[in-house]
Amino acid sequence: MTRIKRDSIAYLAIIGFCILMLTWGIPTYTPDYPGYGASPALVANVSVGIMMFMACLSLLNIGVAVYTNKPIPAEESEFPEDMEGDAGFTQVGRVKLKHLASTMIPCVLLVVAIEYVPYIFVSFIFLMVFQYVIGSRKWVQSIVVSVILTAVLYIVMRYGFGVPIPGPQIF
Amino acid sequence: MEMIIAGLLDSLSPASLMFVFLGVAIGVLIGAIPGINGPMAIALFIPVTYYMSALTAIGFLVGLNKGAFFGGAVSAVLLRTPGTPEAAATSWDGYPLTQQGKGEKALRMALYSSVTGDFVSTVVLIAIASPLAAVALFMGPAEIFALISLALTVIAGIGTSSISRGLMAAGFGIFIGLVGTEPVTALTRLTFDVYQLGSGLSLIPVAIGLLAFSEILLQLEKFTVKGGGKQTIHESSTKLEDRMLTFKEFFASSKTLLRGSMIGIGVGAMPGLGAPVASFMSYDQAMKRSKNREEFGKGSLEGIGASESANSAVVASSMIPLFVLGIPGNLAVAMLMGAFMIHGMQPGPLMFQENAQLMYGIYGSLLIASLFLLVIGRLGLRYFCKAVNIPAMILYPIVVFTCIMGAYLGRSSMFDVGVMLAFAFIGYFMRKFDYSYVAFLIGFILAPEWERALQQVVIISEYDTYMFFQRPVAMGLMALTLFVIVRTCKLNIQSGRKKQVEAAAAKAGQHKAD
Repeated sequence: MTRIKRDSIAYLAIIGFCILMLTWGIPTYTPDYPGYGASPALVANVSVGIMMFMACLSLLNIGVAVYTNKPIPAEESEFPEDMEGDAGFTQVGRVKLKHLASTMIPCVLLVVAIEYVPYIFVSFIFLMVFQYVIGSRKWVQSIVVSVILTAVLYIVMRYGFGVPIPGPQIF
Repeated sequence: MEMIIAGLLDSLSPASLMFVFLGVAIGVLIGAIPGINGPMAIALFIPVTYYMSALTAIGFLVGLNKGAFFGGAVSAVLLRTPGTPEAAATSWDGYPLTQQGKGEKALRMALYSSVTGDFVSTVVLIAIASPLAAVALFMGPAEIFALISLALTVIAGIGTSSISRGLMAAGFGIFIGLVGTEPVTALTRLTFDVYQLGSGLSLIPVAIGLLAFSEILLQLEKFTVKGGGKQTIHESSTKLEDRMLTFKEFFASSKTLLRGSMIGIGVGAMPGLGAPVASFMSYDQAMKRSKNREEFGKGSLEGIGASESANSAVVASSMIPLFVLGIPGNLAVAMLMGAFMIHGMQPGPLMFQENAQLMYGIYGSLLIASLFLLVIGRLGLRYFCKAVNIPAMILYPIVVFTCIMGAYLGRSSMFDVGVMLAFAFIGYFMRKFDYSYVAFLIGFILAPEWERALQQVVIISEYDTYMFFQRPVAMGLMALTLFVIVRTCKLNIQSGRKKQVEAAAAKAGQHKAD
């Protein structure tokens, strides 16, 4: 997928989100006008309106450039990783979905599992899995990091800040 | 006078001194690790400050930010890996010195320049913030509304190549900032029947997800997908003259340091410009005015001084708009604003009246942090250099798990951890698609204040549509906002046309070659 195509899809998604919010989200989940001051929906409508206006403008800009066959500068049409030379200090690039999923899934599972499994076990397992996902194959190092980190945060939370430890308690 | 003395004495209390010291030390250590910067460190440590007094918390976070700014120079000089854009100019001359075995000398120059810039800037902040705040007190809700509108417009240009995407991000931030309880009716708004959203989204999980976790996702991507080759530090020379910085060498750059500090103060005081602009501007000026301009880029101590004095001066001066107007000029200050609000204070001109003792305490902590930066940097330079070599396999799990538990700490709620992950996901896409997460976060923080000002304007004016026309300052600010939008669009169109011509010329050249 080219960058122009990806940006166009993003603008369309933003426009879709804005239409959804303006027609359903904001009217349904905003209190009625109390009869004084500004309407509770005003700022929400303005902010979503700005998003929608800008997305339409950007989409129109791309459409005009494509329709009139104007050359689009490399900084806007190509991904920095494909460009020759130094693309500057940028984080723009292709989305690596596989990497994103492999990093996020253990975190999401941790949030779900911590409701049922005691913190100490679930944290240790999470840290082992996470280190494996990012490529660590040194088992001793992984175990040491997992044990120390789990214990340190447990002690800091429980005895340092007096915060309730998430999940079922075993101690 | 009593307030000043009481505030300064508060900043000298053992707890305050200890946490400022800890903040600076942790900041330098964290800043030295490539990829971790000041705002990210503040986001990670804000949950810890829940359990501190307001002065201790702000002192700790300010120390953390100051330390991280200098810490960024360590990896820039030793590895040529500027973790943040503002450290890039430091690496241009720092790394060549490291290659010559003079890395320690380069770091000493960076340290003394940082401390100089930071100290001068702190003194200026102390001298002008309070009188300016007194003037700012004459501003009513109409002026505040107009000012926030202007700030949001200016800030929309940060961290993105397109102001339209910046405005979309700011709009999204404002929208998310409205979730929770509506101020006039006290009824819930935009909660989508999720009861945990009734009190709104807390800044901590949003900031940790957007700043820290999404950054780690990107760094892990580089590390695991592209392969993170370990970089090695060049061996340092054993000769004393190659390691130490003499008074003569330091004072030879005194004019550059002073100029850099002034540039940093000026740039920092203006919302939206930030440390990278100050750093590059100061470097450019130093190069143009130097007698030894041929040395720039090859290991010039003056070049390091120019960059470091300017970017460190931004740290304190960027607090001027926060203290005077209640508007954060950059990301680190936006995070500090969040910390102020967590401790029950609304940054702005009223702080000097409502919390005068605390403000003078913060001034004291700012000065003490400058002193600690000098001491910690001087004594611990060699140890901080080791931080750049922490293996990624150990560092990333620590940061990720700290993000998760940091998000939990704020309200002891796993729902907040879910929010943090959701914003990490959003932040990852924002960075990849070139939407400004800075504009988003500042929009999120300023949204309630913006709405409150608008509500006050509507109620006070009794629905008079021409309210803004009766307030010249507010009208001027609104006109300025419009001017900024029109001018930025004009500049974007002009630069787009220029690029199009260049692209067409390149295409024609390619056809000719074929």
